[in-house]
Amino acid sequence: MSTLLEVRNLKTHFHTRDGVVKAVDGVNFSLEAGQTLAVVGESGSGKSVTALSIMRLIPESTGVIGADSDILFKGESILSMDDVSMRSIRGDRIAMIFQDPMTSLNPVYRVGRQVGESLVLHKGLKKKEADERAVELLDMVGIPHARERARDYPHQFSGGMRQRAMIAMALACDPDILIADEPTTALDVTIQAQILELMIALQERTGTAIIMITHDLGVVADMANDVMVMYAGKQVEYGTAEDVFYRPLHPYTWGLLESLPRHDVSDKGVLVPITGQPPSLINVPDGCAFHPRCPYAKEICHTTVPSLESIEDGHSSACLFSQDPSFRRDEVSPSGEVA
Amino acid sequence: MLKYLIRRVLQMIPVFLGVTMLLFVLRAPGVLPGDPVRMITGERAISDTLRAQIVEEYGLDRSLPEQYAIYLGNLMKGDLGQSFQKSRPVVDILADKFPNTVRLALAAIVIEIIMGITAGIISAVKQYSLADVLTTLSTSILVAIPVFWLGMMLQLLFGILLKRWTGGAFYLPISGMESYQFPAWAHMILPAITLASVSTAYVARIMRSQMLEALGQDYIRTAEAKGLSRRAVIWRHAMKNAMIPVVTFIGIDLGVMMAGAILTETIFNWPGVGLEIFHAIGQRDWPVLMGGVIFIVFAVMIVNLLVDLSYAVLDPRIRYGGAAE
Amino acid sequence: MSDRDDLHHDAHDPHSHDKSRLEHGDIEDVAGHPVKDQAQLLPVPPTDEFATGGGRTLWGDAWYRLRKNKLAIAGLIWVIFIIAVTLSADLWVKPIFGDPLSMDTTVGANLQPPSADHLMGTDKLGRDVFARVVYGARISLTVGVIAVAISVAIGLIMGALSGYFGGILDTLIMRGADVFLAFPYVLFAIALIAVLGPSYRNVFIAIGILGWPSIARVFRSSILSVKENEYIDAARAMGAGHMRMIFRHIMPNAVAPIIVYGTMSIGGAIITEAALSFLGMGVQPPTPSWGLMLSDARPLMVRAPWLMLWPGFAILTTVLAFVLMGDGLRDALDVKMKD
Repeated sequence: MSTLLEVRNLKTHFHTRDGVVKAVDGVNFSLEAGQTLAVVGESGSGKSVTALSIMRLIPESTGVIGADSDILFKGESILSMDDVSMRSIRGDRIAMIFQDPMTSLNPVYRVGRQVGESLVLHKGLKKKEADERAVELLDMVGIPHARERARDYPHQFSGGMRQRAMIAMALACDPDILIADEPTTALDVTIQAQILELMIALQERTGTAIIMITHDLGVVADMANDVMVMYAGKQVEYGTAEDVFYRPLHPYTWGLLESLPRHDVSDKGVLVPITGQPPSLINVPDGCAFHPRCPYAKEICHTTVPSLESIEDGHSSACLFSQDPSFRRDEVSPSGEVA
Repeated sequence: MLKYLIRRVLQMIPVFLGVTMLLFVLRAPGVLPGDPVRMITGERAISDTLRAQIVEEYGLDRSLPEQYAIYLGNLMKGDLGQSFQKSRPVVDILADKFPNTVRLALAAIVIEIIMGITAGIISAVKQYSLADVLTTLSTSILVAIPVFWLGMMLQLLFGILLKRWTGGAFYLPISGMESYQFPAWAHMILPAITLASVSTAYVARIMRSQMLEALGQDYIRTAEAKGLSRRAVIWRHAMKNAMIPVVTFIGIDLGVMMAGAILTETIFNWPGVGLEIFHAIGQRDWPVLMGGVIFIVFAVMIVNLLVDLSYAVLDPRIRYGGAAE
Repeated sequence: MSDRDDLHHDAHDPHSHDKSRLEHGDIEDVAGHPVKDQAQLLPVPPTDEFATGGGRTLWGDAWYRLRKNKLAIAGLIWVIFIIAVTLSADLWVKPIFGDPLSMDTTVGANLQPPSADHLMGTDKLGRDVFARVVYGARISLTVGVIAVAISVAIGLIMGALSGYFGGILDTLIMRGADVFLAFPYVLFAIALIAVLGPSYRNVFIAIGILGWPSIARVFRSSILSVKENEYIDAARAMGAGHMRMIFRHIMPNAVAPIIVYGTMSIGGAIITEAALSFLGMGVQPPTPSWGLMLSDARPLMVRAPWLMLWPGFAILTTVLAFVLMGDGLRDALDVKMKD
C-alpha cells in the first residue's frame, strides 16, 4: 500500500476581529490508497477546516496555514503548489462532498450538467460527452431513470437524491481521495443508511480512499479503517477503528461512545451526553483543552498540555493518564449500528 | 409555465380596474371639489352647448357606476378623450410621442446595465477595496441627487462650459433633436445618462449585495471543490444566480423609465410622452394629462408582465411550478 | 432621486418570488468559509459592555451602534445644522442679506454674481439667493416631515387593519396597495395635484397619500410576525382588547422598521416636492422652494449659472443626509429590508 496523503503538523488559524481562531492546531495523519479514515468530533473541533485545508479552500483573506505545516499528496507538497496545479488536483484527484445537499447544488443549472462539469474541466470532454457520462454516473449512484433525472434541476430532487448526485459529481473524475464532510447529517435516518451503504459499495468498486468527517461515531463504525478523534483543533486519539471502538484511550472518546445509542447492552439504555460546551477556539483553556468537561480531570490537567503519545502500536492518545494501564474503560463498546 | 402566465394575467385585472377606478374617481363629481366638466375640458371658456354635449357624451348626469362603465368602455376602445388644446384624440398624440420615450428609455437601460452591473460586480468581488468604497459612495450620492438638477448640471458642463473651454470645438447637444449638426444618437447621450443615473446606482447596489450573497452560498464551495478557477466560479456559478433579481429590477425599471421620463424629457426638450404631459400641465389640458397617465400605467403593466415571464425563463424553480419543495 | 422616486417604492419586486433560500452554515462555516453576507455582519461591531453603561436596552444598543456609523452621524449633524440655520434665519439672514421675498428693481440689482453682499448672488428679480436657499429649507423640511407623517398615519391604520384582522379586509387593502404601487409615483402625484389644484398644502397631501402602501406593508408584516409569538396568545387569553393588543404588544415591535422607512421617506418626499415644484405642480411663486428656484434658474443657465448651483446642492445634501441616516438606522436597529 502506498501513502496517498500525508498531513504534517497542520495549523490553520483564522484572524478575526475578535482574535485568532486556532481552528486546526497541529494535526498529523496519513491516508493509504483505498483506505477510509474517519475524522470524528463535535462542531467546531476543526474537522471541516482540516478538510478545507487539504482542498486549499481556506479563504486567503483571513485563514493562515502555518509555515511549518505541510500536506503531501503522493509525495508532493500541496501547500507550495501554484494555483493552477492545485486546481488540476482539486475535483480531479481529490474530490469533496458537503454536508447540506439542499444548498450544495447550484439551483439554476441542470443536475446532469453539474455532475459533468468537472469532466469537461479535467478530462477535456465535450459538453455532450460529459452529459452522457453524467447519466452513467447518476445511474451508478442509484438514481432511477437517470437519463430523465439528469435534465432536472436540483429543486426537483429530494435531499437523499441530491446527496447521491453530489457523490456522483465527486466521483466523476475517479479521484484518489474523496473527502466527505458530514455527508449524512442533514438527511433522514433511513436515507443516511442508504447513502453510507452506497459509499461503501462505491469504494469497493473504485478503490477510492475516503476521509469521512462526522460528529457521529456510529456512522463510521462499518466503514472506517482508521479513526481520528479531534477536540478543539487538536487530535486527541488516533488508531485503527477496532482500537478506538473497543479499546478507547481518551476520556473524550469515552464520552463520544457513551453518547451513542446502544443496542447490545439493553439494560444500560441511558444515553450519557458529554456535559458542557466545546471551548471557544479563541480562548482555549490552559492545559488540556478538555479538562473543564472531563470527569477525570486532576490538578495537572489544568496546567499541562498533553501531547499525542503512542500508547500501543499505532494507537495514540493525548491524555496525561493514558500511559496508565488502569486508566481504561474497556466496557465502552460501540453500538455498531447506525443511529 | 402556461399556468403561471395565466395566473399573472389574471392578477393584472384587479390592479388595472383599481387604477382606472382611482383615476375615474378623481374626476367624479362630488368626490373632490370641482366641476367634472372642467376636468374634461380644461380651464377654458366653453359654450353651454359644448357643456351639454360633454355631459351627454361622458354620461355625467348618470349614476357613478354607469359613468365608470362608459369610461371603461371608452378605454377598451382605446379612446382616451380629445385634447382641447390640439383638437386631436389624446391617444394619437401620445402614440406619436411614445417611440421617442421608448428610445430614450432603452438607451438609458443600456447605460444602466453596463455601468450598474459592472460596478456592482467589481465592488462585490473586491469587497472593501477602493473601487468598492467609491462605488458605495457614488451610489449614495446618485440616489440623493435630483435628476432634473443633474440634467441641468450636465447641460451646463457639456453643453456650455465645454463649448467655451474648447472654443466651440467640442460639446454635446443639450436639447432634443433640434440641431442638425449632430447625429441622432448624440442627442440621446446626456438625457440617457440623466435618466439612467438613479437606476444605475440601484442596479450597482443590488448587484453587489446579490453577488455577495451568491458568493457565500454552499454551491460556490462545491464549484470551487471541483477545481474551477475563481473566474469560472464567479462568472458561471455566482453570476447566474445573482442576475435573477437584477434582471427583474431592470425589467421593472424599463417600465418605470418610460413612465417617469417626464423630468428628463422636460429638461432636455425630448419630444416624448413626458414632455407632452409637462406641456399639458402648463396648458391645463386635463384629457392629455389623465390620458397620458393611463397610457403609461398600461405600458408599465405590460412591461412588468413581460419581465415576470423572463424571470420564469431565468429561474427554473419558477418555470417548473413554483418554489422548491 | 428621480422622476420616479425609488425611495418610496420599497418593492421593486412586487411579486416577491419565493426563492426558498435555505439557511445554511454551521459554526465551522463561519470560521472556515467566506461569510455569506458581510453587509449584514459588518455594521454590528462587538458591543462593549462598559461603553453602554448599565441599561442595555434595544434603544441603548441601537444608539451605540448608530454612534459608530460615521456617515449616519454626518447626516444627522447636517440635518440639525440645516434646522438650526433655517429656524434662526429671521435673526440674522434677514437683517444681513435681506428678505427672501423682497425684490430689488433697481437697474443692475438682479442677476448679480456671488459677492460679499450676496453670498450666492441675486436672481432675476434681484432677490438674495442665499436668503432664498435658507428659507427654502423650511419648505422642504416641512413638506418632508408632514408628508411622511401623513403616510405613516394612513399606513399604520391600513397596515393594522390588514395585518391584525386579516381575511377579506386584508385582501382588499393589500390589493389597494398594489394599485397605488402600480402607478408611476410622480405621475400619480401630478394627476392628483391636477385635480386638487397646485398649492403648498396639496403637495404634502399628495405626497402623503402616495406614501402609505410602503408603510402599510411594513407594519402589516411586523404584525404578522408578532402575531405568531406566544405572548400574543397569552395576552389574548388574558382578555386584552384589540386596541390594547395593537398598542401595547404589537406597536413596540413594529416601531423600528417604521422609523427606518420614515427617515428614508423624508428624503424621498423632499425630492418629490422639488420635482413637483419644478414642474409647476407644487409650491407656487414667490414662495422660496428649491425646486421652484431651479425651475426659474433653467432659462438663465448661460447668463447666471450660479443660480442653479446652490438650490440643487441644498437638495442633494439634505436628501443624502436623510438617506445616510436611514441606512444607519436600518443597520443600528437591525431592520431587514430589500435593497
